[in-house]
Amino acid sequence: MTIFFYIVALLAILAAVGVVASPQPLYSCFCLIVNMLLLSLLFAGLEAHFLAAAQVIVYAGAIMVLVVFVIMLLSLHGEERKPIPTLLGIFVALSAIGFLSLILHPLRQEFASLAGRRSGVDPAIVGDVRTLGTMLYTQYLFPFEAASVLLLAAIVGAVVLAKKKPHAFPPGERK
Amino acid sequence: MIGTADYLTLSALLFIIGVIGVAVRRNTIVVFMCIELMLNAVNLSFVALSRQLGNLDGQIAVFFVMVVAAAEAAVGLAIILSVFRAVQSVETSDSSELRG
Repeated sequence: MTIFFYIVALLAILAAVGVVASPQPLYSCFCLIVNMLLLSLLFAGLEAHFLAAAQVIVYAGAIMVLVVFVIMLLSLHGEERKPIPTLLGIFVALSAIGFLSLILHPLRQEFASLAGRRSGVDPAIVGDVRTLGTMLYTQYLFPFEAASVLLLAAIVGAVVLAKKKPHAFPPGERK
Repeated sequence: MIGTADYLTLSALLFIIGVIGVAVRRNTIVVFMCIELMLNAVNLSFVALSRQLGNLDGQIAVFFVMVVAAAEAAVGLAIILSVFRAVQSVETSDSSELRG
């Protein structure tokens, strides 16, 4: 279990670096899909079975297919490498180091004592479909219905935004 | 034994890689994918803390994050498409006409 976690974590970090560093948008996309599949393995290891399945179906399946579709539609190729401005690079590196040291140091100290306490799996907190579905339809009924309204609004918004507007930008006027 | 701290450490690392990507990359679609990476990192820490605290509210939160991410993907990619139609590019520096 331990060695499994470290292998998956290492691969997930490598895939995340691949998303940021690869020159082709399509390679970034494939790295992100790999990262999401590895995270779904971790979810399964954390007894969140429903979320592991939903991660594969919704994220790696639906959302990334949409991204691949847009990349193909725009026929994007690699961008030419522009050097990162020095000031921006210094700023980003400093904030990354600051964030990590702020998060990781207290994390290590706080959870070192907690980690050993809950070693066995509590059967009441296994996130299977039955338990999460019951919670969604009782305790979280209103947010669930609101989410459906949000999705409907997103569908309408996407159609309106992506539709060709014949009179909005006459072709000769721009540029 | 893998503890919650290890999951949270991995989550923080993935999140900061996403932040670096958003700050450094110019391609709008890659920036979008880095945002998805950050959402995934937060989902991992939600699930790990849900396990640690022994209740399932964190997993419900992850479910809603997924719903919002799907809505965001649809609208965001539509915006990228319509910007591409207007300026023939997905570079962030090419769509700066609104800058004062």
